[in-house]
Amino acid sequence: MTTRDALDRAVLMLGVVSVVSAVFVLVHGNFQLVQIRAAGLVVALVLGLLTVVAGWLDEPTLMLAAGAGFLLAAAVQLALLAGGSSGLLGGNASTFSLWLGLGVGLIAVGMVPRPEVGEETSVELTEPHAHEAP
Amino acid sequence: MTGTDYAAVTDYAADTVPILPSRMNRAAIAIVRVGAGLLWLQNVGWKIPPDFGRGDPPSGLYLSASYAVSHEVFHPYAWLVERVVLPNFTIFGWLVLLVEASLGAFLLIGLATRFWAVMGMAQTIVIMLSVLNAPHEWYWSYVLMLLVHLALFATAAGRYAGLDGLLRPEWQHSGSWWARCLVRAS
Repeated sequence: MTTRDALDRAVLMLGVVSVVSAVFVLVHGNFQLVQIRAAGLVVALVLGLLTVVAGWLDEPTLMLAAGAGFLLAAAVQLALLAGGSSGLLGGNASTFSLWLGLGVGLIAVGMVPRPEVGEETSVELTEPHAHEAP
Repeated sequence: MTGTDYAAVTDYAADTVPILPSRMNRAAIAIVRVGAGLLWLQNVGWKIPPDFGRGDPPSGLYLSASYAVSHEVFHPYAWLVERVVLPNFTIFGWLVLLVEASLGAFLLIGLATRFWAVMGMAQTIVIMLSVLNAPHEWYWSYVLMLLVHLALFATAAGRYAGLDGLLRPEWQHSGSWWARCLVRAS
């Protein structure tokens, strides 16, 4: 697997996590890991799909845009919570945490300089790291 | 074999023997990391600003923190909570929310995992000092939390199916101060 493939696959996974988090609109009680309601569902689905497309097309600009979108949504959710309600986004601090992670992750991956297609070398992404001392 | 020779052999072994040699081991530690992230992510949900449960009767995070005084575990900590934390609870409530939300976020994606594993251990100790003697608490649950974060630190868990594994080579080649910090944190 090339470095580009690994980066794209990571972005794809972050998008899938966001889309899957929409399931929690139907889950209540002990197994509701994150509170997704109201406009938060739109954020999870639209930005999640945008992230999947960014990973699919290997498009760093889209990755950064989706990452900025998640960070903005997280900041708005936090501001709404500070005001004493879930507000329009309908989330809680768990929602803030999830979107913070997705936003930071996408920005971190989107900022990695990509080798040109011709310059790419095939690398094993797990084995060399597994052999590193901690 | 002299003592010096033995040390040389073990140092060599430490550099060459993989921490997690099999794919199954790496998958297992990735599952542990994501599970720990979800633990924090779900549990930050009941930290509710702006008052964090301060009221009559107290609830939520405020009630939990007040157990440090009413069901004392360690006297200096109980004194600190009574005199400093509870009177200024809004500040400490926000601090807890931001730390636990970040723990959920960063452990879930495996970024700066060793740093956040240490933060997780610190936060677990703070929770232990508050609620260990409270009614219906099982102290082993907090010991287990501590041990899980110790395992994440020891195995550098973000390097397996996490962003640390993907981005660390880039940070290692960068000469910047920020990248050097991230190499240590991962």
